[in-house]
Amino acid sequence: MELLSKLNSPVLYLICGGIILFVAVICLIFAVRAYRMGKALGIDTGKMKRVITASATFAVLPSVGILLGVIALSGSLGTPWPWLRLSVIGALHYETQVAEAASESVGIGGLSIANMTPEAFVTIALLMSFCIMWGMVLVIIHGKSYCNKLRGGSEKKTDKPKEEKKKKLNLKGFGDTAMTAMFIGLVSAYIASYIGTIVSENGRFTFTGSWLPLATALVSALAMAVFLRIKKAFHADWIDSFSVAGSMLIAMTAAIFLGKLG
Amino acid sequence: MEKKEIRENREIMKNSEAYEKYLNTTHRLGRLMTALVLLLLLAAPYLIGLFLKAVPNLPAALKAFIGVGLVYLVSCIAEYLIYVPMLGAGGSYLAFITGNLINMKIPCAINARDIVGVKSGTPENEIISTLSIATSSLVTIAVLAVGVMLMIPLQPVLQSPVLQPAFENVVPALFGAMACKYYRQDMKVSLIVLAAMTLLFVFVPSLIGSTSMMVIPSGALAIVLAYLSFRKGQKGAEA
Repeated sequence: MELLSKLNSPVLYLICGGIILFVAVICLIFAVRAYRMGKALGIDTGKMKRVITASATFAVLPSVGILLGVIALSGSLGTPWPWLRLSVIGALHYETQVAEAASESVGIGGLSIANMTPEAFVTIALLMSFCIMWGMVLVIIHGKSYCNKLRGGSEKKTDKPKEEKKKKLNLKGFGDTAMTAMFIGLVSAYIASYIGTIVSENGRFTFTGSWLPLATALVSALAMAVFLRIKKAFHADWIDSFSVAGSMLIAMTAAIFLGKLG
Repeated sequence: MEKKEIRENREIMKNSEAYEKYLNTTHRLGRLMTALVLLLLLAAPYLIGLFLKAVPNLPAALKAFIGVGLVYLVSCIAEYLIYVPMLGAGGSYLAFITGNLINMKIPCAINARDIVGVKSGTPENEIISTLSIATSSLVTIAVLAVGVMLMIPLQPVLQSPVLQPAFENVVPALFGAMACKYYRQDMKVSLIVLAAMTLLFVFVPSLIGSTSMMVIPSGALAIVLAYLSFRKGQKGAEA
């Protein structure tokens, strides 16, 4: 608990808030430059204002969903660090998985404030920054040439033989499937470990391990299924912004009550 | 309406020189700012470490990176290749700095494009995407800042021992939701992989403590099964 107080100290708010402020300034600079250029290009300012209003409105609901993610992580990592991670670059599912993996590697078992040490925290924090930086790295080293290629590449595309095009389309099709498979593999490893915990944590087939992680996962899956059903029944696409964070919070609340049972 | 569009396009062509200059500056600025943010994000754990009197355990970080980081390395490359053409230069730099691409930035930029009716690769798209992503990022930053400020008085409640089972199960809560989302996309592959991994953990319980490393064989098995199923589907479609 003493560490959690340190993780919520003004120093951490200052470090994380400073970086967030810097990113906000970058966004402002880019927005002002784009608006001015748009005006110079003769783009209707009414259109640009409509885009600004629509984007601001569009972003409110997902942002509240992201805030729920900050709350979900605040109990194990304090508030300032998840605030930074989810304001800049991160996403809830990614942050949680990486933090869990780092917790295991550093030897504290899992992501929990009870076992957290300062060394574990800074390792988790570094890994969270490191694992997802590749988009930024690519855009720094390759962004300009990629954008230029895209601007001048439309004619070349039509010269490609049909077979080659077909092959590329097929590979792209499998690319999507492979990404889904990769996440299925990732999720399965963790869900299976919860089953393994119940069955063999204290010796093979002793069935004395903690069942709380599996029960929490099941409640979360159930909540997610309800969200997806509501989305389908009422064409409520906006619910996507809340489904992951909402399912997690429902399951975490359930864990409080389920924990008392066992 | 059409005449107005033609007039607008002519004006756009007239300003092509200024637009080229704008793009070059966007790349220069984008690279510089992205590099600075990256540096700050990597430096922050060390800075926090000074305050906590600790340094990151690099061998442990490397081990975890091999486990889950590689999955995200592939994911980041795919996101980069797919989304840069949609977002243009300015939008891409901002989107990769601010994150939350799939759940917010991409739908937001597409929504903005649909509202004004622009096509990928045009100067209009470049401007609209940048405006859209900058605005949505600023809204997220503002909403989170207000939310976090409101959370400060709630810290004693959040740290209460009664709530600890909730925070200790944040990871199972995440994987439950994700399982529901991804398993429905390929139930057969999901069940086979889950069964195989369960058997592994039941018979070799010492592996439970290294679940993040077990993501590698689990992911590999899922990809192989998905590929076989994909090939089978393609052959069926060709026949």
